[in-house]
Parts: sequence; C-alpha cells; structure tokens
Amino acid sequence: MTGAFAIAQNTIREVVRQRMVLVLALFGVALVAASQVLSPIALGEGRKVVTDFGLAGSSLLATLLAVMLGSNLLHKELERRTIYAVMAKPIRRSEFLLGKFMGLWVTSAALVAGMTAMVLALLSIVYRDTPWLLLGSLTLTVVELGVITAVVVFFSSFTTPALTAFFAMATIVAGHFADDLLYFATQGASPWITRTTEAVYWLLPHLELFNVRGQVVHGIAVAPERLAFGAAYGLLYMIALLVAAGAIFERREFR
Amino acid sequence: MSTFRDTLKTQGPGPASDRSIHAVPALPLLRLESLRKTYRDPMTLKPFMAVRDVTLELERGEIFGLLGPNGAGKTTTIKMLLGLVRPSGGRVLIDGREPSDPDSRRKLGYLPENPCFYDHLTPLEYLDLSGALFGIARQVRQRRANDLLERLGLASHARKPLRKFSKGMTQRVGLAQALINEPTLLILDEPMSGLDPIGRAEVKALLREQRARGVTVLMSSHVLAETESICNRVGILKDGALAEVGAVSALLASGVREWEIAVDRLPDAVVATLLEAGHATERIGARTLVRVADGEALQRMLRTLVDSGVFIHSVEARRETLEEHFVRVLGRPERGEAVS
Repeated sequence: MTGAFAIAQNTIREVVRQRMVLVLALFGVALVAASQVLSPIALGEGRKVVTDFGLAGSSLLATLLAVMLGSNLLHKELERRTIYAVMAKPIRRSEFLLGKFMGLWVTSAALVAGMTAMVLALLSIVYRDTPWLLLGSLTLTVVELGVITAVVVFFSSFTTPALTAFFAMATIVAGHFADDLLYFATQGASPWITRTTEAVYWLLPHLELFNVRGQVVHGIAVAPERLAFGAAYGLLYMIALLVAAGAIFERREFR
Repeated sequence: MSTFRDTLKTQGPGPASDRSIHAVPALPLLRLESLRKTYRDPMTLKPFMAVRDVTLELERGEIFGLLGPNGAGKTTTIKMLLGLVRPSGGRVLIDGREPSDPDSRRKLGYLPENPCFYDHLTPLEYLDLSGALFGIARQVRQRRANDLLERLGLASHARKPLRKFSKGMTQRVGLAQALINEPTLLILDEPMSGLDPIGRAEVKALLREQRARGVTVLMSSHVLAETESICNRVGILKDGALAEVGAVSALLASGVREWEIAVDRLPDAVVATLLEAGHATERIGARTLVRVADGEALQRMLRTLVDSGVFIHSVEARRETLEEHFVRVLGRPERGEAVS
C-alpha cells in the first residue's frame, strides 16, 4: 500500500499543479456569484437558489474534473513513457492503479468540499444561516465521485482517452436514469429485452442514490440509514470496478 | 514465493552448515533461459519474433553490454526483465525471482531509453517518489537524493521543475533514480544517449564505481567505443537472437590487423618507394603514417626507415575495434546501421 499512497500523492500534486483545477475553481466561484445575482429575482427564495446552484454546480464541476483528468490518466503515462521507470520499482500494477484512483478521488472530493464550503460561507454571510445539513449531501457527493472516478479508471485501463471519456459520460448519464431505464424496459417489451435491461440496470451505478440535493435545499436532513447505505453501496461498487480494472491492467503490455 | 536461492538453501541432505548460503556457489544474479517474444501485426496478425531464444547469465559485479542495431530486440529483452512485457516463451530469473514478483525489483535500478519523468516535479521530489516506491524511509531517501544530485552535478537544479531540464540533465536524473535504492543490479537502456563527452566520462566513472561496489550492470548501447572501454562482456543481438557473447578482450583477440608506423619528415623519394612496394601511407602535416600488414614486413620496413635516416615516432599494432567487430558480426555495413 505504501506504493499506492506514493502514487496517489504524486497524482494529487500533478492535478493541483495543472491550471485546469484553477480554471474550475474560478468557475466555481463565478457560479456561486451568479447564483447570488439571480437571488433578487427569485421571489424570496434566494437562499434556496444559492444552495441549489452551489450544490449542483460543485457536483457537476467535480464530475467533469474526474472524467477529464481521469480519462487521460493512464494514457498519458504510457504515451510519455513515465510509467516505465515507475513500474520498474517493486510495485504491483494494481497498486499503481489504486494510487491513481485515490489521487484523483481525493482531488475531486477536495474540490467539491471547497465549493460546498463556499456555499456555506455565502449562506452564513448573506442569509445569516449555516445549513450544516449540506454536509450530508456533500458526503454522498464525495461517494458518488468515488464511483465516477472508479468508472473512469476502469475504462482507461483498456481503452483510449476519447473512448474513456465517452463511455464514462454515458455511464454517468445512464446511471442517473437507471430506474427509468428499468421502468421503460418492462412496459410491454419482449422477455429477452427485459432480461437484458435488468442486467444492465444492475450493472449500472445507481447514481441517484447519492443525489439528496433536492431534499437538502428544502431543509430536510439526510437520514443516517441513507448515508450508510449510499456509502456501503458506493464502496462496494468502487471495489468491484477497481478489481476488474486491476485484472485488465495486469495483462497489458507496455511496448 | 520461495526463490531459487531459498530452494537451494533448504534442499538436500547434510549438516546444517552445508546448507547455509555460504556453501552454495554464487548464483548468477540475472538468468535468461530461452527467452522469446513474439508480437503480432495488429492489421495482418502476422507474427513477428522480436526476441528469439536468448539465453544469458550475468555474474555478480560485471558490466555487460547488450549491443545490436535498431530493432535487434535490446529494449524488448530489457522490458521482459522488468515485467513490462510478458515473454512468449522461456523465463527470466532475477536473483532467483521471476519479474512478475515485485520483490525481484527491490534491489534493481533501471534507466529507460530516452527517459521521461513527471515534469511537474523537481528532481528532489522525483527522487523522493522513487525512494517511496522502494519503501525507503523518508529521512534515508532524502539524504540519498541529496547525495545523488550532488554526485551527478544536479545539486544546483534540485528545485527546478523537470520540464525545464535538457536531455542530458534528464538522463542524469534517470541515473539518480536508478541508484536511489542502492541496487545490486543496474539495467541501463542507452545510458550514454544525450550526454556530451564530459557527461559520458562521468557516467563511465559512475559505472566503474558501481562495479567496484559489486553492482552488476546490464547496459544496452549504440556507443561502442564507450562500451568497449567499460564492459567486461558483451552480447551482440541480431534479429532478436544472440549472435555472439563473450569477454570484450576475447572477442577482439583475433590478432593484430596491421601495424602503423608514424615517422617524421619522410622524404618524398622514400614515400614513392613505399607506394611502389604496395604499402599504404598517409601524410598528416609533417608526420607520415605507414601501414604494413604483418610482423615480417614490419621488420623490413623498420630497417628501411632507419637506413633512410628518418625519425620513427611510434610503432602501433592496430587491432579490431568493437565497432569493427560489431559490423563484421552483423555482416551488413552497407545499410549504415546506427553505430557511433
């Protein structure tokens, strides 16, 4: 695990030193500022608008960061041959992959946490209200980002950056509509289609499980059981994907 | 996983002392047994054998040069040693362990060909990362990193991002990261590449220093003059197969090719006589080089020159160089392979 932590630390350093994070952070600040501009025309619902915009925006930005950086994560190592010197050290490929995953997850989680802190600060300064229940939403968003990062790492272990980004985005969108997918498939479809769709339904990450932004905006706290179930489901999903990615990456040849 | 050495240590009858490590003859640090690698063309699926039945053993404390033209299989062989590429056949043992075992790389240092490192890091940070991957304690790896940067003339650039480094400086960082774990086996893919003459001299000195410490070095190179001067043994790869292996001195011991006599102020009349007799001459300023093919001709020539009253500056036996040997073994100098 020492090797994985070293790789994770290096990945964090790499992402932090890239200007992309700065651009995204500035965009996050702009988003919060824009929501503040919108609040006067929100008919007294300014606090909710700021919360809604802030949470949705930070989650979207962190997801984009994970997909954009993650899809190039391994390809860049192979293309620039930086991986050769690393893999010549006593480290397993799965450890390397785990390190990359942890580094990216921590970075995107820190970004979303930072932006949530901005939203909290804005609410407490402007509305004299610090809704700590946003932390429940933040927790599940961080778990969701872990699942998304694992999806990206999985695809990047065997395909190109462009295809990784495409497959990851498709999985994220489908993951948010997994329940709808099952509903439509069972409406008069043939048994074969129903069975296939059910299989896809179970394979897809159920990302709506982590979306509690709607209830938090309306001041409803996230139940501890929901938090625990979301975290457990997310962790299991991450482990399964990382084990599969590790097995694929183990077989790759660095020509 | 039990190692080859462990097996030898625990097998066989006899008193315990006989089974100790001291009773076991020194095993080769690196062993390649009928190593093969076949690639398939992604379009035609036609197989291409990049490495064919390479069998080789490296003894502890020797510098071995792996030579061959571009595409001979040097880098593929090295990648199989490191577990970056899986062999199609045969096997590799590094101190008794297979490359799939990460522990086989615990005392191994590797410098890739045309190395490229994380350019967002400084050399100090990169060496720290390398040390951490070996599981070296923070204080120890920081001390070693500083020592190595000092030794390789990079101390003043220790906190400069690697993206600002020249090729030669990057090569030095590559050597530093290969030495951070104080390896017993160094695998260097084209270590002289990108270095100026001073840099090459420094690397040669470093390799000799490592050999004196008992480190085994496997290096691939195109720079044959450098290889000849530091390698104990060389292997020449041709089309993926080892065409020749041996001590440099033995490979080049095919005798004196010709004698070269350097004389000063040789009169034109004598030059004309020599040319008539079929001897090659070459004038360089006031000095003339006269080449004769064998020892008997040399004796006659020396008598003639002494009688002519010219000053004989030197007499030198010219043997085949490693470069000439390399071209002869490969048998295709007309293709102008990259030999420097």
